[in-house]
Amino acid sequence: MLAQIFVNGLLLGALYSAIALGFSLVWGVLNIINILHGSLIVLGAYLAFFLNAWFGISPFAAAPVAAMVLFIPAFLLQLGVINRVLAKPVLITLTLTFGLNLMLNNAMLTVFRADYRKVVLDPPLGVLDIAGLAVPVDRLAAGAGAICLVALVWLLTRTTQIGRAIVAVRMDRDAAALMGIPVATVYALTFALAAAVAGAAGALLSAIFPISPVASAGYLGKAFVICVLGGLGSIPGVVAGGFGLGIIESYGALWLGPEHAGTVAFVLLLLLLLFRPNGLFGRKGFE
Amino acid sequence: MRSKGLGVVAFVVAAAVSVIAAFDPGLAQTIKVGAPLPLTGPLSPEGTKLRQGYELWLEELNKAGGIQTAGSRANVELVFYDYQSNTPRAVQLAEKLIVDDKVDFLFSPFGSGAAKAASVVAEKYGVPMLASTASSAEVFDQGYKNLFGLYTDNSTLSEPIADLVTKKSPDIRRVAILARNDLYPMSLANEFEKSAKARGLQVVFFEKYAIGTMDHSAALTQIQGGRPDWIVVTGYINDLILARKQMGDLRLTAPVVTMINGPAYNEWIEATGALSENITTASWFHPVLNYQSKDLFGSTQNFVRLFKDKYGSEPDFTQASGAAVGVILQQAIERAGSTDRDAVRAELGKGNFETFFGLISFGPTGMANSYVPPVYQIQDRQVKVIYPEAVKTGEFRLGVR
Repeated sequence: MLAQIFVNGLLLGALYSAIALGFSLVWGVLNIINILHGSLIVLGAYLAFFLNAWFGISPFAAAPVAAMVLFIPAFLLQLGVINRVLAKPVLITLTLTFGLNLMLNNAMLTVFRADYRKVVLDPPLGVLDIAGLAVPVDRLAAGAGAICLVALVWLLTRTTQIGRAIVAVRMDRDAAALMGIPVATVYALTFALAAAVAGAAGALLSAIFPISPVASAGYLGKAFVICVLGGLGSIPGVVAGGFGLGIIESYGALWLGPEHAGTVAFVLLLLLLLFRPNGLFGRKGFE
Repeated sequence: MRSKGLGVVAFVVAAAVSVIAAFDPGLAQTIKVGAPLPLTGPLSPEGTKLRQGYELWLEELNKAGGIQTAGSRANVELVFYDYQSNTPRAVQLAEKLIVDDKVDFLFSPFGSGAAKAASVVAEKYGVPMLASTASSAEVFDQGYKNLFGLYTDNSTLSEPIADLVTKKSPDIRRVAILARNDLYPMSLANEFEKSAKARGLQVVFFEKYAIGTMDHSAALTQIQGGRPDWIVVTGYINDLILARKQMGDLRLTAPVVTMINGPAYNEWIEATGALSENITTASWFHPVLNYQSKDLFGSTQNFVRLFKDKYGSEPDFTQASGAAVGVILQQAIERAGSTDRDAVRAELGKGNFETFFGLISFGPTGMANSYVPPVYQIQDRQVKVIYPEAVKTGEFRLGVR
């Protein structure tokens, strides 16, 4: 049973990484607590749901489509709206994304209704039996997709000019501006990238979790915990935080009962904040 | 002097209009019904459904010319506020509805917990409140006179299923129960535990999961270790979609799997696909039922037809509950012949309301006790009634894979 719980925790952790990636990027680079993040994941899940229902497209294949669909509106939103308040105190940006989230969430409630839906894979992908351990293939595929997503973003920030610009802005906005980096555009690109990642994550999760606009708060809460756990703005930290939370919750549920799974995670989070406030992989400045 | 004269004329005209209004049955008065609803937040799906039920009732009521009272007819105005799925807010809004909006009657907030909390306010002001979606006996154990619940006690859900299970297979001995840590699902889980133990079954697992849980795999792995013959999971639709999916992921099977409240919804069957097969559930209402009624709708099937015409989908029990409390209140006011709260309360207490939802009478605590909720099983993605005998449409099957 302990081994099965570990496998469950790993699979859950991979999904958690996908949930937190975009949130971490925005928080780390733009210093914005993006309340809109959970709703963007849900929007990505809806896109995958309808692509599956209408055209039979697998949610895993729909992930890049969801990413592309969310990229441009998010770019324009950051450029036209959020950039205007970036220099203001954190409460202002928090309030702005809170308001934007209310608008998007209510729009989704109106368009999609509050009913829960889920992509049902037909035929189902089945369950692998590895040394007596059950490994559901759809979770495995979604988890692998999530890790690919994290790796892609990491490679982007390491190897491309845009990525280096994002890292540079994160390191020191003023110095980056002096070096000729268009900071406002980099902010918009970062937000758009985060939204694209959230959309792709939503598509990957659409065959795993029920889809509804009201699910957005759950995603946001998990993303927040994972970012603090892994380290703010750190891409490897998202993976560590995601897997850490997944495994802690799984064993917490086993030893203390399912109702206390979250409590264990939050107690560890508090301890971490006390003794390692930058998280597991977080560093002041840049990565 | 001139202004004093005008004042006298205005007073006389106003008095005349009032007298005419009082005696002319063509001029309608308005009955205000207050309803705190969770239109946003985690309970917004349920809140939206309740509102749909209320609005269908109101629409049909208006078409029929309103509520008939002695010598006149009255329009009904539904005054509602969104309590954002936040129970303390529901209580505040219930008080606001009574004090500021001066509603005549109340429909409760959604679910047992919020209904219990808001019933304190209704009792304080002596306003009869119809609880559309409260099924826990704990809601009705306060000795209140103004609280009337449409649902029967949770034990009326667990007992028939436990009977069916034990009669169908004497080999079923071990029971696992996983419950959402919330008033209604916990109360339901406790009833299932009592029903199982009363029949000599062994409860090998009983655990709660937190509201908002995104993963049941650890609990389900533990359940698998207990080798249960009958698995009971209580919660709301999102919990039960996820739990059923993860049971499949872990290849957790059992002869009987009961989930409440999930399979009664079409959306649950669609979201779980083949995994819905042979899941048992119970519910106070389902569109497959067919009661003849003396209410606005005339029968369950007519209600279902009108609902489908208006909303394009079949009603589930939450939507039906919204309309049902409407027709009960309407019948009570018509019997009382006025909106006097004492008279309407007395009529509610007498019960015997023949509605599309079933025959509704309230017990001494205010909870409905006049009908037995049917038991259903999903067979070939269709909902079959497997109990009671009178409305049965299918035979109970064992085996959930």
